[in-house]
Amino acid sequence: MDFFSIGLVLACASAGLGALWRMRGWFRRGAAMGRPEQGRPRPGILGFLGMLGGGLADLVLLRRTLRSPLRWTGHTLLILGFVPLIVLHAMDGVVTRPLFAGYEPTLDPWQFLRNLFGLFSVLGLPLLFLNRYMALKKFSRLQDWTLLAVVFGVLVSGFFLESFKIMSAGDFKRMTDDYFVDAEPEELISLKAYWARENGVRFREFLPTAPEMLELGAELHEDRCAGCHSPTSSAFVSRSMTALVPASLHIADQGRDLFWHVHVGLAFLGLALLPWGKFFHPVATGINLLSRGGSRATDTPKHTLARGLALDACTRCGQCSLHCSVAQAHRVLGNPDILPMDKLADLRRHLDDRLPPDRSAALVEGSHICTECLRCTQVCSAGIDLQDLWMASKKALTEAGRAGVDGEIRKRTAGEWARELASRDLGRVGGTGAGLADRAESFWGCVQCTTCTGVCPVVAVSEDPSRDLDLAPQQIMNLLRMGLKAQTLGARMVWSCTTCYKCQEHCPQGVPVADILYELRQLGAEILRKKEGRS
Amino acid sequence: MKTYDVMVIGSGFAGMAATLFAAERGLSVAQTGATGGIDFSTGFIDLLAVHPIAEQKVWEDPFAALVALRRDLPDHPYCRVSDDEICRALEQFTTFLGRHGLCYRGRTGKNTLTLTAAGTMKPTYLLPCTAWNGVKAWETKAPTLLVDFSGLKGLSARQIAEVRKDSWPNLKVARIKFPGMGGELYPEHMAWSMADPARRAELAQTVAPFVADAEYVGFPAILGMTDTTAVLSHLEELLGRPVFEIPTLPPSIAGPRLRAAFDRGLPALGVRTYTQKLITKAACSEEGFSFTAGSGSTSVEIFAKSAILASGRFFGKGLKANRHRIFEAVFDLPVSQPENRALWHRPEFFDPQGHEVNQAGIETDENLRPLDAQGRVFHPRLHAAGAILAHQDWMRMKCGAGLAIATAYKAVASL
Repeated sequence: MDFFSIGLVLACASAGLGALWRMRGWFRRGAAMGRPEQGRPRPGILGFLGMLGGGLADLVLLRRTLRSPLRWTGHTLLILGFVPLIVLHAMDGVVTRPLFAGYEPTLDPWQFLRNLFGLFSVLGLPLLFLNRYMALKKFSRLQDWTLLAVVFGVLVSGFFLESFKIMSAGDFKRMTDDYFVDAEPEELISLKAYWARENGVRFREFLPTAPEMLELGAELHEDRCAGCHSPTSSAFVSRSMTALVPASLHIADQGRDLFWHVHVGLAFLGLALLPWGKFFHPVATGINLLSRGGSRATDTPKHTLARGLALDACTRCGQCSLHCSVAQAHRVLGNPDILPMDKLADLRRHLDDRLPPDRSAALVEGSHICTECLRCTQVCSAGIDLQDLWMASKKALTEAGRAGVDGEIRKRTAGEWARELASRDLGRVGGTGAGLADRAESFWGCVQCTTCTGVCPVVAVSEDPSRDLDLAPQQIMNLLRMGLKAQTLGARMVWSCTTCYKCQEHCPQGVPVADILYELRQLGAEILRKKEGRS
Repeated sequence: MKTYDVMVIGSGFAGMAATLFAAERGLSVAQTGATGGIDFSTGFIDLLAVHPIAEQKVWEDPFAALVALRRDLPDHPYCRVSDDEICRALEQFTTFLGRHGLCYRGRTGKNTLTLTAAGTMKPTYLLPCTAWNGVKAWETKAPTLLVDFSGLKGLSARQIAEVRKDSWPNLKVARIKFPGMGGELYPEHMAWSMADPARRAELAQTVAPFVADAEYVGFPAILGMTDTTAVLSHLEELLGRPVFEIPTLPPSIAGPRLRAAFDRGLPALGVRTYTQKLITKAACSEEGFSFTAGSGSTSVEIFAKSAILASGRFFGKGLKANRHRIFEAVFDLPVSQPENRALWHRPEFFDPQGHEVNQAGIETDENLRPLDAQGRVFHPRLHAAGAILAHQDWMRMKCGAGLAIATAYKAVASL
């Protein structure tokens, strides 16, 4: 077993096993998220064709990355070059050779195209690097940079490999040993002279430049070599790169061996890493984009498997976190699971039972801070229906007894919470804190007219406000006026307030009702966070 | 800065009326004000029912009462408006309300007695059509069912029947559970829920077993928010009896209904309303008035050639009091008030004479232009209307809405 065979076997094994593991994850995580509620009915033939068109437009034209022209250009160049390289070059034995009679990698158009595709890819990568550095640096992790580095390594080492092969006298000798067995010494010298001059091979010995010798070399080349070798000038990048190596250095054979190992090794590394981490995104994202059929809403038919797949399709591009409506809450609380990209990763770990308890609490909190505004779903370039994932996971977490502080609050009445919270060292509660709820000026205008309660849409939708909400807004204001702040912190009204501000806008006395309710809720959340041992 | 013909300061009865009259005259109008008096209204439009206060004399003919009032109280704001102006003002005001779904009726030249949540009979001039069947029921002493709801604090049918048992023995009462709601009830939520015909049907079904031989059915005022006529007639159809409303204790929904009608109707007349904004700064010049409405980042600068001060008394925040004095909030106009604080209130809270502080307000000339400390006109194009005017106790005289609407009419006419 040589390097190539061992590498290929290991890489394929890793890729195969990883792919199976991934698919198992789709089923398992999808099922763990619960049965999806049926959205739109399944499409008919025309609808299906429309979805296919939409999916292909997303997949082929990379429509969803258009938000950032830099990213779109980089991705398009990379894909335009890299996919043909994999298919036509890396897999030439199974694709190109059976399809095209007389295929040789050293013949045009393959030799030329390989350089062209490689150039596309190499040009795309710096753009992607720049985009990540400028817009997404704070969201980026090691694997994001590693993926770029491995692809770049494969491409650049490929060019160097070809470049050294062009210069390699060793390769020339191997070929002539095989195909020039009966050659006269003069013929061999003429051929060498011709190849040194026309194809850039670097020989240590002095070679004649007499026209008749070169003519003989050209004839011999036409007879014996041209069937398998196009002029190396058509490998326009690799051939140009030979200028990087000074003529006095005779390292072509060593360089060829080195870069062969680097190129093949990195290609195997890429193949081996393919199912792991972000390396898998070209597969998962592609399938997800097709399954979403171009939709940016949350209305496509859902399936447990599709949910499992969606969880894998994240490319960690950071668009969702950049556009998250509650990113401000992340800045204040520091909980990374408020932002969709990190929340998705932790949700996956949670579904795999690999999430440590403190991160689990962060995930629950992040899930409940999300306002389900749909924005992440709309901007996701991988077409993930994030909104559906958040709603399903929130439901699953709640069913598993992890409803977060909002859920905790609803387990007891305001009176029970008052006893619980008042028995703790609550700092500001009931003291002379600086909050609105602590200042007499906030309430002294209140005449208990119930206007705030009368206009409150939360009270309006309740069948029985005292049962569902514990206290009405004006009752909360009254308790605060009496200094009974602890009595209000656990009131369901405080936790159900949508901060629509109708109460505050209608108060005839200018009491900042909504601001106070929000403050109480933040204070209650802070206390419960401390209770969970998180700062 | 936006420039308007008129700036109306206040969004109570006087402010709304002044805005309406000015806009209907084709003037460009800006209006500011916060939630206030009108939101706590019973929905009745009183003209004048009691005079003199000390005698508690109730008048059936409000115009006869006005004659007596103008003779006895020459400083009363009603002395600044003629009967003719009052009639035109009320006509214009109720026509506008009618166009926006709030039907009003009354008897020409006569006050009508109407039932209150306390069971008393209140003399008023114009009342919402939804209350009119109650007047007929009371006047014929017809057998009537009064319905109230478990959890609604603003009206007790039993209390009404108890108070009225001698003069209206045929009152029956029923307390029912309001369909779809439990616990403490709030009139606005109930009124909105009545927009659903299915809810009305449920309500009628619950009430029907109690109707028996009753000829009328009375409800707390919760019958719809913007569609009161339709709700009322649907209930009448379902119950097979004339139905009426009794206003609940404030805040009832009569106030929000009025405000909603203006919210719908005034912008359509081209009025720019700055809701929930009080005037925080005012400056006068020969050209007009510069105002800052609201505070902080949401404040707005407004310029107007004329202004109407309809900012109300204490609840409307037109007047402010510290421990020694009463101030006018926008221009710091001189306020007529008792000499010292000891004279603000009488010892008895329910003293039939009322309290001196309830007559505090600003002085004006014949055209309702506020006067400065020297008794001269403060600014030729500043007028005042409504509760902020001195020498009237609208609560005890039962003249609040009428006075507000009539003085607003006069103020606009004098611009």
